[in-house]
Amino acid sequence: MRTAILIGGAALLALVTLAADEATVERGRKEAGLACTPCHSLRLVQSQRLSRAAWNKELDKMAGWGTKMTDRDALLEYLVANFGDDKPPAPPAISKDGVTKRKQP
Amino acid sequence: MPFTRRHLFATLASGAIASQLARAADDTVAIPGKRPMILHNDRPEDLETPVRYFDSWLTPIEVFFVRQHLPRPAAIDPETYRLTINGMVSKPLQLSLDDLKKLPQFTVPATIECTGNGRGFYSPKVPGIQWMRGAIGNAEWRGPRVSDVLKSAGVNSSAAFIETDGADVGLASTPDFVRSLPMNKAMHPATILALSMNGQTPDIHGFPVRLIVPGWDGTSSVKWVIRISATAQASTGFFMNPGYRYPKYALPPGTPAKPAELETIEGMPVKSCITAPEDQQKIAPEPATIRGFAWAGENAIERVEVSTDGGSRWRDAQLSPKKLPFAWRLWSFEWTPADRGYYTLMSRATDTAGRVQPIVSPWNPSGYLWNAIDRVGVTVEKSA
Repeated sequence: MRTAILIGGAALLALVTLAADEATVERGRKEAGLACTPCHSLRLVQSQRLSRAAWNKELDKMAGWGTKMTDRDALLEYLVANFGDDKPPAPPAISKDGVTKRKQP
Repeated sequence: MPFTRRHLFATLASGAIASQLARAADDTVAIPGKRPMILHNDRPEDLETPVRYFDSWLTPIEVFFVRQHLPRPAAIDPETYRLTINGMVSKPLQLSLDDLKKLPQFTVPATIECTGNGRGFYSPKVPGIQWMRGAIGNAEWRGPRVSDVLKSAGVNSSAAFIETDGADVGLASTPDFVRSLPMNKAMHPATILALSMNGQTPDIHGFPVRLIVPGWDGTSSVKWVIRISATAQASTGFFMNPGYRYPKYALPPGTPAKPAELETIEGMPVKSCITAPEDQQKIAPEPATIRGFAWAGENAIERVEVSTDGGSRWRDAQLSPKKLPFAWRLWSFEWTPADRGYYTLMSRATDTAGRVQPIVSPWNPSGYLWNAIDRVGVTVEKSA
């Protein structure tokens, strides 16, 4: 019985931790929208696959170039969770044709 | 064919996926003047040429790759444009576009390749745009020699570099894009201030005036040039140091470089790429043309060999006729697959200085100068 309670407690703790991580990642996603986009589109971020150490270094570089971050830790968690070096490469995005004029409806 | 509920669901599902894909395509952006390009970044523009467009010696501007470090400056008015020549010169100048057009004009065919072209092939991954094969193009650049401009300003013989500034400026505290070039390369007769590219003046490629440094990495060819200063020392700005440097001593993959052991990149290595068929393409069991490009920085291409069996046997490819320094040669190889199945096709270039593409391109922390023997996999099957 005590074992069952312990296991249940651990599972609950794990769930809470996971939820907290998800909340952090979500905060990080919003932070990316605010902190990165004044200078460049998010494609530049989303197309890369880097380790935690490499993302951390990128954030230092960007801070040095004047990026205002209010939630740097969450931003790092978001980058690692979505664009870590364990994730498959991003499929290439293709721009629309900017030469051929569209037929007017 | 009997129509069943399963078919109905399958049809509905594929329809839903198709409409989702269509929406995703609609969400991407069009870059004015550019055909569909591999979109690494739209603000600022970082556009890679899909390999299927590499079928002409001159790369059309509408598919020419774009690498912007900083947001594109506001379009420059050709009437009010002035180029400042200053620093170690006896007669500082403010040159108009007409002044530049009055100097002798030279046409230089030259390939330009982003220093990081092929970065996406490196493992472990490194930060930066994950270019594959297409951050490269070949154009005819035309304009006055940098040497003529510097001579007219009375450049001091002890000036060792020119420092070139483009009109683009960084947002927030992003450093300005300023590059230095050793004087001997600046004075080379092929180093020009291009006033046109394939006869056109596209703003997105740095016109009205773009520095062209043939055979060197693309970042040397500064766009929207507004100032050239003759200097005693190289610029110490970010885009010279630590930017665009390469380890003097090769590093174990994944390890950091010692900043003092990084050197400025100059001429580009020998390289070839396969542009058709494309990687993982399925082709029919009939004669096919394997083709691609090869270039070698300041040298010309001497030879390209192709293997269709994973590098066991190599045979010479046909090369396009112009054997020039700075400009690529297109190559082709007629191939009839012996049977169905999966083939690893490879290309290997040799230049006029005897440099040969390596099997392994040395890993480096910024992912520069990828030039390994290229390889694509194709499946030969019936009814491809």
